[in-house]
Amino acid sequence: MHASELAEQVPTVTRETTALEAARVIAEHRLGGLIVANDAGVPVAVVPGTQVLKLFVPRYVREDASLAHVYDEAGADELCAALEDKTVAALFDSDEITTQSLPSVLPEDTLVEIAAVMVEAHSPLVVVRDRGGSYSGVITFARAMAAIAAAAARRQPTTDTADSDGPDA
Amino acid sequence: MTVQAILAIAVFVIAYVFIATEKIPRVAAALGGAALMVIIGATGADEAFFGEETGIDWNVIFLLLGMMIIVGVLRQTGVFEFLAIWAAKRARAKPYRVMVMLVLITAVASAALDNVTTVLLVAPVTLLICERLGTNPVPYLLAEVMASNIGGAATLIGDPPNIIIASRSDLSFNDFLVNMAPIVVLLLAVFVVMCRFLFRKAFVYHADRAERVMALQEREAITDPALLWRSLGVLALVLVGFVAHSALHVEPSIVAMLGAGLLVAVSGLTSGKYLGDVEWETLVFFAGLFIMVGSLVNVGVIGQLGEAATDAVGDNYFAAASGLLFGSAILSGIVDNIPYVATMAPLVAGLVASSGGSTQGGALWWALALGADLGGNATAVGASANVVVTGIAARNGHPISFWTFTRYGVVVTGVTVLLSWPYLWLRYYL
Repeated sequence: MHASELAEQVPTVTRETTALEAARVIAEHRLGGLIVANDAGVPVAVVPGTQVLKLFVPRYVREDASLAHVYDEAGADELCAALEDKTVAALFDSDEITTQSLPSVLPEDTLVEIAAVMVEAHSPLVVVRDRGGSYSGVITFARAMAAIAAAAARRQPTTDTADSDGPDA
Repeated sequence: MTVQAILAIAVFVIAYVFIATEKIPRVAAALGGAALMVIIGATGADEAFFGEETGIDWNVIFLLLGMMIIVGVLRQTGVFEFLAIWAAKRARAKPYRVMVMLVLITAVASAALDNVTTVLLVAPVTLLICERLGTNPVPYLLAEVMASNIGGAATLIGDPPNIIIASRSDLSFNDFLVNMAPIVVLLLAVFVVMCRFLFRKAFVYHADRAERVMALQEREAITDPALLWRSLGVLALVLVGFVAHSALHVEPSIVAMLGAGLLVAVSGLTSGKYLGDVEWETLVFFAGLFIMVGSLVNVGVIGQLGEAATDAVGDNYFAAASGLLFGSAILSGIVDNIPYVATMAPLVAGLVASSGGSTQGGALWWALALGADLGGNATAVGASANVVVTGIAARNGHPISFWTFTRYGVVVTGVTVLLSWPYLWLRYYL
């Protein structure tokens, strides 16, 4: 299966999108992260979901994890409410994440190539672009895993046959 | 003076300028300087690795390493977070009272642990408390780091300059406690009062915000009570070991390493956890620094400077102590007090030796320690803890400029050093 067959259209966000809206996009579309686009709507970066969580957890809590335990429910809700005041830009302005080049694959790339890019970039999303740079969609982690599982299932009978030809045969 | 001695001085000065200006990482400057000392023949393997006066002071390195491992385990327990929140709640979340509690916790912890580690543990929970109080955390962080530098002066293990002084002078843990702790307690009391005026704008009380602090659940910070009790037990043993080290004829570094080993054994933590807080860069920096200073000793530069200083001082040790106190305070504000004390220690050792072991001569060590420790408060680069706190503040969106720090630091340093001067006079020279 090729990348072009796995690509799907997912909503993008911009630097100005609030953290609350970004959280909604991830939740509603069950994405593993965000695709950040420029003003022209062209994807420029992928932000994994765990990085987006940094907008919710204060830095001092990330530096001292035991502080996460001292919040009561109301305190945790306050932190959630504060997402409205933050934007995706805060992630890019922070020194905590490195804005690496957009993880992307070519439409004709195979599952192995797609998986390799996801692993190397630690990204749950990769964009599909042709050699001219034209964007045709996004492959999500869930979609890639589903394709891998389906491919493995298709190979199952062949594998069993191969096993039966082993030393015990 | 030989050509080799002149070359050694040139290497030392250039490396020192790089360390002070931080044009290149201080570890690179210290190691580069040490390498050049080897190349020009100012030192060699025997002198650098095995010379007590001319090489790496392994007592200092291993004392620091042992304490870093102990703290690495201790911080997993959440005890500092518990203490800070508990104290803020005991203060009914009233801002000035909260600051006083945090200052006292930091000062006491700094006396028992390294300053850098203490502020690393206290700063995040301070940011949390201030966020809950809806107040600017900068005054609280400044007060804490200054309390850390003052409190750390009280003991042998509290401040890296004290560790160096202890190793070079053969002064015991109890010597530090008896001579430094009384003035430190006084200075701390004065500092607490000063905070009321220095940071007066930070003490705005809002009942609704105070409620947000009172809602924090400090007990939840302690995730492994068994580890906490084991860690506190070992820490208590280590502190007893420090107090008894001269009677037991055991070096403080051995006490710290034994404590670290015991704690590692009983904690059951992985190496990534208990070694995670070891500042390897600091240890390597110390090693490079010791080789550079040892090279100056080796080629006779320190000896000649010592003789000149002895001639200049004569019998007037109070003048020497005054010069050391104020000079160290000023210089420690400009450059990190660790390289300063590493350089001055052999010189002061010479002066003390020439006094024939008199109390007046010996008090020069306390003048050096007070000047260097308290002078570290003057600027943002005066002590390693200051650099750490300003870094934490900046990362959390509350940058503390060099001049903001200096504005408060100079006042605190001035008052504490001026108060230390009559203490030295009354206690050792009257």
